[in-house]
Amino acid sequence: MTVSPIIAENLVRHFGDVQAVKGIDLEIKSGEIFGFLGPNGAGKSTAVRMLTTLLRPTSGTARVAGYDVVKDADKVRRNIGVALQDAAIDPLMTGAELLALQAVLYGIPQSMMKKRSDELLERVGLTAAATRRVSTYSGGMRRRLDLALSLIHQPTVLFLDEPTTGLDPMSRLTLWEEVRRLNKEGTTVMLTTQYLEEADQLADRIAIIDHGRIVREGRPVDLKASVGAPTLIIKTQTNQEELAKTVLVSFGDLRPGAQGELGVGLRGGATQVTDVIRKLDEAGVHVQHLEINEPSLDDVFAEATGYRLEGSDNAPPAGDNGVDEPQTKKKSRRGRK
Amino acid sequence: MTTSSVRQTMALAKRSTLELFRQPSVVVPSMIFPLFFAFLGNSSFGRTTSLPGFPKVSSYLQFQLAGTIVQGVLFGSVTGAAALATDIENGFFDRLLAAPTSRTGIVFGRLAGSVLFGALETAVFIFALLPFGADVSAGIRGIIAMIASGALISLAVGALMSSVALKTGSSEAVQGTFPLLFILLFFSSAFFPRETMSGVYKTIAGLNPISHLVEGLRALSLDGFTASATARAILVPLAIAIVALLIANTQLRSRLKSH
Repeated sequence: MTVSPIIAENLVRHFGDVQAVKGIDLEIKSGEIFGFLGPNGAGKSTAVRMLTTLLRPTSGTARVAGYDVVKDADKVRRNIGVALQDAAIDPLMTGAELLALQAVLYGIPQSMMKKRSDELLERVGLTAAATRRVSTYSGGMRRRLDLALSLIHQPTVLFLDEPTTGLDPMSRLTLWEEVRRLNKEGTTVMLTTQYLEEADQLADRIAIIDHGRIVREGRPVDLKASVGAPTLIIKTQTNQEELAKTVLVSFGDLRPGAQGELGVGLRGGATQVTDVIRKLDEAGVHVQHLEINEPSLDDVFAEATGYRLEGSDNAPPAGDNGVDEPQTKKKSRRGRK
Repeated sequence: MTTSSVRQTMALAKRSTLELFRQPSVVVPSMIFPLFFAFLGNSSFGRTTSLPGFPKVSSYLQFQLAGTIVQGVLFGSVTGAAALATDIENGFFDRLLAAPTSRTGIVFGRLAGSVLFGALETAVFIFALLPFGADVSAGIRGIIAMIASGALISLAVGALMSSVALKTGSSEAVQGTFPLLFILLFFSSAFFPRETMSGVYKTIAGLNPISHLVEGLRALSLDGFTASATARAILVPLAIAIVALLIANTQLRSRLKSH
């Protein structure tokens, strides 16, 4: 029986009185792409830092690549690749120099260094820029170099912490392609993301983390199916919102829209739209705008947490978790499906 | 240290050296300002060499050479430690920790870069001031010993400053020690011999470790290549370096434990 490359049991991390991760259980199977989805401060990065040996768990256990992250931390490090969102790449060095340094850190023999480095540079499309200093690289080039650095020792387990945050759409697609290719070659990938589309497109399974706890876990298609009903979003005059809610609630659970609009998960499906409009009209609610959306991961997120990941204004403050993840560079939320 | 650790430390040392020399705006001032102070001191205090208590020198520059070296090395070492703090701030330190990197190698790699820079600075100061009267009585062997001493002073100061970097993780905090070092330098025998001082100033200069670092180097430039001069030039910074390395190691362990 193959041992799962990432297993966590009741993993907890406190920072003083702050509980950043409140007991998460995970089992990521060999060859999976596993997405860890959540807003800023949800505990994603803290969990990844524990799994990559950068943080000691306050309690609980985790085994990565077959080794305990505390007792056999060095063995874990030798078997995993890590690309952290907030780990800078030295801007004064060239791509080739950084790969050579990384090769030495992982004990790759001198005779193999050049070949391995050239292969990786070609793989991520940086051969022409190899001798340029990183300070001249674009954001996308830096992320690709970061990926190459994490692959220098051919790890079987790869951790990518928000790999496409801040990237333009084209760079994002390029990186997705590379992650898929790596996965096809047998690498198990755990990626954290706050982009719904990224999780939906890339991950075989996802876990939604909110306030330090996993609130949903499963295949994206199953999670979306579990929400079931399509969401009807309406806009009305502010002073009629409460009245509208009393009408909408009779058709299903209320689900706020991305911009805080009124929304309802239609229990009876999209055919109920005309009934909803008639009832609203009878109640004297003037509908200014209406749209219907098929279930998305954002609906799953909204159902699980009570707020939407898209349109961060709806999210409650990170509160007791907002200690581990930088609040910058994460303003753009995209990717609704 | 294992072979792998040595290889890692050398690679990290190469990185810190390359990084340093790719920032002329950082390197040049730590070379220029001490030379500027040396020439300024020579023209301002040139006649003080005849004061009672002043050692027998061929010029004020010969006396000042050791102070210039220590001044340059102090500032250069702050730069190296600030780079370590920057690594902590921007996450490069985490990148190293996520790899199977020798933990002491991370700090030693940085220090090795500082040591190399300290040796280079010492050689530059000696050869830049030599034509203007900064004779080294100990000859070529003395110059080599002075360069070794300069490297050791870099190691000692670099390790102390690295402790600040590891403790605070802030490059601003490391650079904030700069004025303190400047004050310590002026309250030492870097510019005048202790024999010409009096009162509290003389007491402070006597207790000030910078005085002892300067006087070790000065013994080589003034007294010749004697066993006692060489021992002072090498052993004093070596002793301080050992203590500083122990402090840096404690701070490193403390930082790693807090992760």
